[in-house]
Amino acid sequence: MLKILIPSMFMLLTTWTSPFKQLWSTILMYSFLVATLSLTWLAMPTDTGWFYINNYMAYDPLSSPLLVLTCWLLPLMIIASQNHLAVEPENRQRTYISLLISLQIFLILAFSATEMIMFYVMFEATLIPTLIIITRWGNQMERLNAGTYFLFYTLAGSLPLLVALLIYHSSMGSLSYLSLTSLPLTCSNLYANKLWWMACLLAFLVKMPLYGVHLWLPKAHVEAPIAGSMVLAAVLLKLGGYGMMRIMIILDPLTKELSYPFIILALWGVIMTGSICLRQTDLKSLIAYSSVSHMGLVAAGILIQTPWGFTGALILMIAHGLTSSALFCLANTNYERTHSRTIILARGLQMVLPLMATWWFLASLANLALPPLPNLMGEIMIITSLFNWSFYTLILTGLGTLITASYSLYMFLLTQRGPIPHHLILLEPSHTREHLLLALHLLPLLLLIAKPELVWGWTA
Amino acid sequence: MADYREAPLATRPKTLDPNEYFNLSPEQRRAEESRAALRAGLKRQYQLQLNDPHRKELIEDPALTRWVYARANPYPLFRATKKTSLLGVMFGVVPLFALYYVFKTDRDNKEEKIKAGTLERSFSLAS
Repeated sequence: MLKILIPSMFMLLTTWTSPFKQLWSTILMYSFLVATLSLTWLAMPTDTGWFYINNYMAYDPLSSPLLVLTCWLLPLMIIASQNHLAVEPENRQRTYISLLISLQIFLILAFSATEMIMFYVMFEATLIPTLIIITRWGNQMERLNAGTYFLFYTLAGSLPLLVALLIYHSSMGSLSYLSLTSLPLTCSNLYANKLWWMACLLAFLVKMPLYGVHLWLPKAHVEAPIAGSMVLAAVLLKLGGYGMMRIMIILDPLTKELSYPFIILALWGVIMTGSICLRQTDLKSLIAYSSVSHMGLVAAGILIQTPWGFTGALILMIAHGLTSSALFCLANTNYERTHSRTIILARGLQMVLPLMATWWFLASLANLALPPLPNLMGEIMIITSLFNWSFYTLILTGLGTLITASYSLYMFLLTQRGPIPHHLILLEPSHTREHLLLALHLLPLLLLIAKPELVWGWTA
Repeated sequence: MADYREAPLATRPKTLDPNEYFNLSPEQRRAEESRAALRAGLKRQYQLQLNDPHRKELIEDPALTRWVYARANPYPLFRATKKTSLLGVMFGVVPLFALYYVFKTDRDNKEEKIKAGTLERSFSLAS
């Protein structure tokens, strides 16, 4: 574990001391090396239990897929950012890479935290590099608004969490994960306990995001540069899901009664945000709302607290991370050519860039949860466990699946098929870098079909 | 550069149509001519950009920019009319309460059946 964390920390040093001509290749190779080493996290010789590195950091089958996803994403972000940063001066390029690396360090520390306070501190710490990336390197004026929404929604949700964790600590004495299972707070039906329950979950629900508090996400995703969008969609949303899974342990037995509104919001959000996707004119906004839709399913799966729900949620988180990041990279290839995110301005691309159409096809199929991809496996497990929870959820989840399929196909057909508009006079051919980027996104997704045991957590 | 001619099938505005020309006051004619001159200037700018051999990017259309901005920032443009309020309540408030009622009664029925021992588990679902 330290063989991944210490090199990541020293990557910061490498960023600032590499000769400028070799900066990107050095950082790319270094981060690929760290990513390859991180795959050792997936080798779990025993099926249960924690792997402790020291008193403060550990990983288990729940956190190891998310850790590997985090480490895998850094080289992909570097490849994706290389083009649009080429025009910036040297120090700014180094700063940008340092922000991405520090984000990875905080994320590794967050997912491997063994105590809730450390998780909380790292959860908040990831906000800062992301905020800097969105507000400094975004492309439109609205990035300031986006950064404000992002920061304040997440902070407003997570300050109650700090209070709740401190209350728990002062009454129970420890917030270590090992002791959480045996020290639930005696939750009677006092109003204060209900508020405490709410405070524990609110931060993660805002981060996921849940449908009612999702407003920050389309803004942040649309205004962020490509690396910011990738890391937001792929990993930062999953921080919310992971935190929810960890904190559910201490929230019994109130969850049985209090979770209804949130399950309903999540499921209704699947349908509502899916319908909004069908009416979007901005490509990145479409992908952002599709992220809200998938995360609504994940939230519902976690809130019903069944083994299959958790497993499905984890598989869907990993699969969605890869798929959503791939879709943002594809949207970025469009953006770098036309400097506009409007879908109708760049249509019929299959005639012009046929190889990129292949990647669009695969990513759209992954988004609509085609079997045998892990997206479907996660969704099926969540839908089945929701059906077991209550039969009537099938209406909502079935409708949601239908709408997901329709907007994914709509996005594919609108960008790839049809006549090419007359005003497009210069579209550069697809770079090898872009093909590499998408191949590296979709290859793990295809490989996970063969061995889903790696990502299905510790409950299945 | 492309030739600038009037579109052969387009109709002229009424004030510039020679059949109607003498029915109109000179002020109307002058106003219409100045508007036509403005339109021609805009069209010339567009054609200059369209046929520029060194152009690599899209021609910026301010109407499209405004439309995209309006689609992306709907909240300042929202007005609470009867129709929008009804839609908001129908899709944003009523389903939440209705679904709460449905799920709660279904789950409570199931809980009673479990406690009474009468629940039939006809599918062997892992949960």
